[in-house]
Amino acid sequence: MNHLPIVVICTSLIGAFASPVLGKGRPWLPGILARIIVPANAVLLGILLAHVGDVGVFHYFVGGWAPPWGIALNVDYLSLYMAMAIHVISTIILVFARGDLGHEVRLDGHRWYYTLFLLLVAAMTALAFSNDFFNIFVFTEVATIAACALIAIKAYRECVEASFKYLILSTVGSGFILLALALLYMVTGHFNLSLVAGEMAAAAEAYPMNIMVALVLLIVGFGVKSAMFPLHVWLPDAHSSAPSPSSAILSGLVVKIYAVVLIRVILTVFGRGVLSTAPIAEMLLLLSSAAIIGGSLFALAQRDIKRLLAYSTVAQIGYIYLGISLLSESGTMGGLVHIFNHALMKTLLFLAAGAMIHQTGLRDITKLSGIAKKMPITMGVFSIGALSMVGIPGFNGFISKMYLATGAFEAGKPAFIIVILLSSLLNGLYYLPIVVRAFLGAPDEGEVFTRDRIPLSMTIPLVALGLACIYFGLIPGPLLELVRRAAEHLILL
Amino acid sequence: MNIIQGLVDNYFYFASIVIFLIGMHIMLTHSNMIKKIMGMNIMETAIFLFVVSIGYVDGGSAPIVIEGQTIRFINPLPSALILTGLVVGVSLTAFALSLVIELYKCYGTTDSDEIMAIRRREQ
Repeated sequence: MNHLPIVVICTSLIGAFASPVLGKGRPWLPGILARIIVPANAVLLGILLAHVGDVGVFHYFVGGWAPPWGIALNVDYLSLYMAMAIHVISTIILVFARGDLGHEVRLDGHRWYYTLFLLLVAAMTALAFSNDFFNIFVFTEVATIAACALIAIKAYRECVEASFKYLILSTVGSGFILLALALLYMVTGHFNLSLVAGEMAAAAEAYPMNIMVALVLLIVGFGVKSAMFPLHVWLPDAHSSAPSPSSAILSGLVVKIYAVVLIRVILTVFGRGVLSTAPIAEMLLLLSSAAIIGGSLFALAQRDIKRLLAYSTVAQIGYIYLGISLLSESGTMGGLVHIFNHALMKTLLFLAAGAMIHQTGLRDITKLSGIAKKMPITMGVFSIGALSMVGIPGFNGFISKMYLATGAFEAGKPAFIIVILLSSLLNGLYYLPIVVRAFLGAPDEGEVFTRDRIPLSMTIPLVALGLACIYFGLIPGPLLELVRRAAEHLILL
Repeated sequence: MNIIQGLVDNYFYFASIVIFLIGMHIMLTHSNMIKKIMGMNIMETAIFLFVVSIGYVDGGSAPIVIEGQTIRFINPLPSALILTGLVVGVSLTAFALSLVIELYKCYGTTDSDEIMAIRRREQ
């Protein structure tokens, strides 16, 4: 039972390496393999969660080597929550990819697509569990290369260009992260997160400069990768040009795992003591407010539907950082629960947009008028996602916003409630016209079709995500309980 | 005076930070994509130098333990980790170069400014 975390990571890795071999001449096989491995791992993680509920959180030592020699995996509620989110959302995306991938990636590229997808899932899971700085660095790089390649696999030149831009900026970020690790190792002598945390108080006393520079380098490094506001320039190109299933996983999960790693490192390794010596939390609050407002304003100016969704992601990442840097219990819960809620909503929106592009070839939101008459199911679930983004009560986006607002009150910073309200308004301004135009606008000339006419493998994920958005909006209890435990773990330290 | 003395004593740290900044500057300001990748390598090399010099002990030898002898060893952990770092760096470089080849096939240039100009003209 205790070995499950490494089993989950390794099966995805093995699947990734097996895909190109098994898929030679059988392009349908890697997809089936991926659609077995990822849901099976989700089930295993569910078993692990129940196990942790019985025996409590623990550290797993890879190969039985305890730190400081071996690599430790951190099996706590935060890592389990992230790993579950990764596997559940990936499963849905993989089902959708079955129907959608054919028209975006050449058939002989499919096996490589699933290789990269499984590699990305494995790397993200490892990042969620890892309790070792160097391990985090290596899997950050694996995730970066896999993510860049998932964009470039669509052999369009815009994709290759976006991928190159993403790669260069990410590499600067990785450079910063590695430098920060070196600075921390210099003064603490450890790479294990818990051991570094143990040495932190003494090190901060003796070498305050090292610690502060390392902290800033980590924030900038992971900030680039998680598209924290002024460092988000690569995101709109990368997320909008990629194939729709890639866009969904990149926007829904990849940017957030870096945010989670950063949050874990800041709160558990550096801790409140170091944070209080410099206005780090205040700076993060201002940056995330700028992200929330700025991302929404940029989104307002877009006409390409996937670009609009990409800019919206920039704003939503702001919510996550805002919630965490409020440093109150409800705020942290709001930020963490928004990770899963936003993953649901944004995956839904990207996949629905993908289905519309798949069917009509149109990306311009002004040309999508009357589309709801042709694709009622797709547009119906798109509307659910849009309403959830705005934060209408009854949808899951409302739950995150409510906790964020409560958190702002608890932290004694009610000004940020205005930011949340303002951004809800802006979200409404750019999402609702699409919905209104689609349902009430006159259909364009052109191809006439009466039903959605998308394959069942695309309809099922869309409907499942739509129902999940409503379900977690109406019955958020179990999810919030898991998030509360994850938040308690972060806040107590 | 303290600062200067510190810089002279730890000249390797200072050198690696200077090289790091040179690499980052090349990466972010040059428009030629091959030069960007070179900048990336320079930046990574600087970090490797930094990490390896953390583990260096004056007068220390390679950490090979011989029975009955006690000598000063350098810290092998940073060097070992940098081996992994090198592999990561190589794979990043290979991937970046393959993207440049792909872009060269599409646009016939490796200069990102020219690519921007071509795209503007097409719109």
